[in-house]
Amino acid sequence: MRSRALPFLGVFAVVLSTFALAAPAQSQTPKSGGTLNIMLREDLSQGFAIHESSTISTVFPAAPCLNNLVQFDPAKAIESTDTIVGDLAEKWSWQDNYRNLVFFLRKNVKWHDGHPFSSKDVKFTFDMLREGPEAPAKLRINPRKDWYANVEAVEAPDPYTVVFRLKRPQPSLLSMIASGYTPIYAAHVPPASYRTSCVGTGPFKVKEWRKGEYLDYVKNPDYFIKGRPYLDALHYVVIVERGTRTAALQAGQLDVAFPGETTKAAAEQLKKAVPQLVITPVGTAVTDNIIMNSKKPPFDNLKVRLAVSYAIDRKGLIQAVHQGAGVPGAAMAPRPYGVWGMTEKDLLTLPGYGKPADMKDKAKKLLAEAGVKPGQPLRVEMVTRAIAVYVDMASFVINELKQVGIEATLKQIETAQWHAMATRGDYQIGANLTGLGVDDPDANLYENFACGSPRNYSFYCDEQVMKMIDQQSQELDPRKRLAQVIAIQKKIEEAAARPVLDHRIDYFTVWPHVKNLTPHHNIYNFARMQDVWSDK
Amino acid sequence: MKTYVLQRLVIALLTLLGMSVVIFVLLRLAPGDIVDILFATAGYISPSEKQALMKELGIDRPYVIQYLDWLRQVVTGDLGKSYRYDLPAWEVIRPLVPVTLELAALSMVFAVLIGVPAGVVSAVRQDTTLDYLLRVFSLAGLSMPAFWLGMVIILGLVSWFAWIPPLTYVSPTKDLKLHLIQFLLPALAVGYRSSALIMRITRSSLLEVMREDYIRTAWAKGQTGRIVIWRHALKNALLPVVTVIGIEFAFLIGGLVVTETVFNLPGVARFLVQAILWRDYPVVQNLVMFTAIVVILSNLIVDMLYGVLDPRVRYGG
Repeated sequence: MRSRALPFLGVFAVVLSTFALAAPAQSQTPKSGGTLNIMLREDLSQGFAIHESSTISTVFPAAPCLNNLVQFDPAKAIESTDTIVGDLAEKWSWQDNYRNLVFFLRKNVKWHDGHPFSSKDVKFTFDMLREGPEAPAKLRINPRKDWYANVEAVEAPDPYTVVFRLKRPQPSLLSMIASGYTPIYAAHVPPASYRTSCVGTGPFKVKEWRKGEYLDYVKNPDYFIKGRPYLDALHYVVIVERGTRTAALQAGQLDVAFPGETTKAAAEQLKKAVPQLVITPVGTAVTDNIIMNSKKPPFDNLKVRLAVSYAIDRKGLIQAVHQGAGVPGAAMAPRPYGVWGMTEKDLLTLPGYGKPADMKDKAKKLLAEAGVKPGQPLRVEMVTRAIAVYVDMASFVINELKQVGIEATLKQIETAQWHAMATRGDYQIGANLTGLGVDDPDANLYENFACGSPRNYSFYCDEQVMKMIDQQSQELDPRKRLAQVIAIQKKIEEAAARPVLDHRIDYFTVWPHVKNLTPHHNIYNFARMQDVWSDK
Repeated sequence: MKTYVLQRLVIALLTLLGMSVVIFVLLRLAPGDIVDILFATAGYISPSEKQALMKELGIDRPYVIQYLDWLRQVVTGDLGKSYRYDLPAWEVIRPLVPVTLELAALSMVFAVLIGVPAGVVSAVRQDTTLDYLLRVFSLAGLSMPAFWLGMVIILGLVSWFAWIPPLTYVSPTKDLKLHLIQFLLPALAVGYRSSALIMRITRSSLLEVMREDYIRTAWAKGQTGRIVIWRHALKNALLPVVTVIGIEFAFLIGGLVVTETVFNLPGVARFLVQAILWRDYPVVQNLVMFTAIVVILSNLIVDMLYGVLDPRVRYGG
């Protein structure tokens, strides 16, 4: 098993180092001025209303308008509680044995319309998000309400202090507050207005949003960090056609690619055409995974679910579908892309990570034990979203399943129907992609594996695992917590709750004159553009 | 003439009414609605929140009420509100219309400028090397989809010259030269295909006319080739050509989807596809109605032109 894994990792390391050599020196003195032309693959799906959306198509272009309380250090690719730095909060402090999280806010911060920023805005935002009894406003869609389920109250004792009172200790809360999905809204404007316009505190102010065409920002002259931003303007261009987007980047009409957009093949083509382009392989926080409805036959049978997990050759999928642009891993991203993932050694103990032929034999045995007779394949219907990245993965999986005696027919589901179908459980087996707003066990495990969660599409529910999830959530010792998180990942993979096939890699591309834009191993958390400058 | 135009306008109104029913029903038959899409972008679904949102957008009402409401809005000049952008639909649609009209018109100009002379030359030089070359040229145009040609142009330009036309719309009032550069290539890509059709129609129509007695008479009278072909033959061969031009123009209004997408032009067709994907009913319904109006008007104009080109054509009362 190891002999097969090592060459793969070796090749990946070579590719990584080849691209890393092209990384720009970040030690030059920043220059002010200039405009950055940035790629968008579609229009802003919910305007600037990040709290009503869960797509990078909203977060990436809307981020420069807004600020968080805290953020992941823009200069560091890896994200963890250790890389969190202040944003609207200058300092923060855990108190009362992690039961209270206190933020000390910056003074003299102004909203783009001139109103002063204060703790009222923070309280307004989080009361709205957690839909507390005193919530002053309601979002029409609130996808991350569960992130704040442990917050008992948000208090604003004075204009520059905010206290989060928790029901129990939860160190993860800080990471979720640092996520690109957690900007602070202004209390004096209706939340609905963010769908069409943006009153933020961010380094850039919206100049014009031409629907379906472009979004223009200009520098916020009153930004609370003196001398920032460096750039005069940002110009986001919506280009729907992938070939045209790549051509625009190659021709220099765009300076920055869209996160998660550049495949390995495209990166190699770009590098060949324009050798000076800076291409950085980074994690995307997006996994390919298999959802199986554990409430319906045949996947209510653990042996059948495990057979599916054993049957799929993860490394084969990474090579065939992503041309090598992925890494194997369980629920959490492995190092160096995340901090909670399982090591290669641990992964080798899980279903589907061994020698493909052995794994397939094991799958056949499990199917036989489940009553599937040789020569009489198990016929199932596999659903996937009618989007190329989903369909490519699903096609590979179907071929793998066929080799062990599961004949799956592919049914493509339109985006409009996908989540409703999955939430209702109107499917047997599905090829799915899952993005995580933050590399954090609470954000992932509660959302995708907790009993009763609307996004637990497999309906997996194990009381013991729930207890383990709650336990890790309260664990204050990072080492102990990591061990607990790894144990949980092992459990859920062994139950084939939602077998993860790989973690996708993006080849984030910028022109060499773009400085200080460090792509993170999570596409959602590096779009503020506060420190980015142009050496053009 | 006036009676004929009035008759046509009444028929046009009835056609539009029929179209409105068709598009309304087809949109509702498509699986999912804007609320499903909004929840899809949020990555979850909540039946109670879904119901509240449907009520907020008014799509929980019976279809008949929704349809009548839309008709009332159209008649009063209010096109409703875009679900996706939370803005008046007209505000969203307005900037798109001139882009598509200009691209379609420019494409037709190229198509006529290339297609008609090529068709004439091909007919006059029938069965010569030049005729064969022109026929191959036209066949290639018909065989190559405009979007494929567009993509080849983009990729060729970026590979050879490291340049592509501007990908953000440049207004003619801001920079006319850049504006024309932006429209030139997509118009050529689309115009080439249309020119092929026009060339073939012109050729066959002209060949037919050239065999008429009055053309033989003109030759016998000793008139020059230019007069015989351009004044006598071509004028009479133009009726089917004009028909094709009208049909092509109407087709282009809704058929430029991929060309607008490849060249990133913010036109009606590209936006319509996005609006359909988002189930943005007010935008889709009104854009389709706009396309239908253009198709009907271009057909009417073509019919009017028949009378100008051929004095024998009379419009009945």
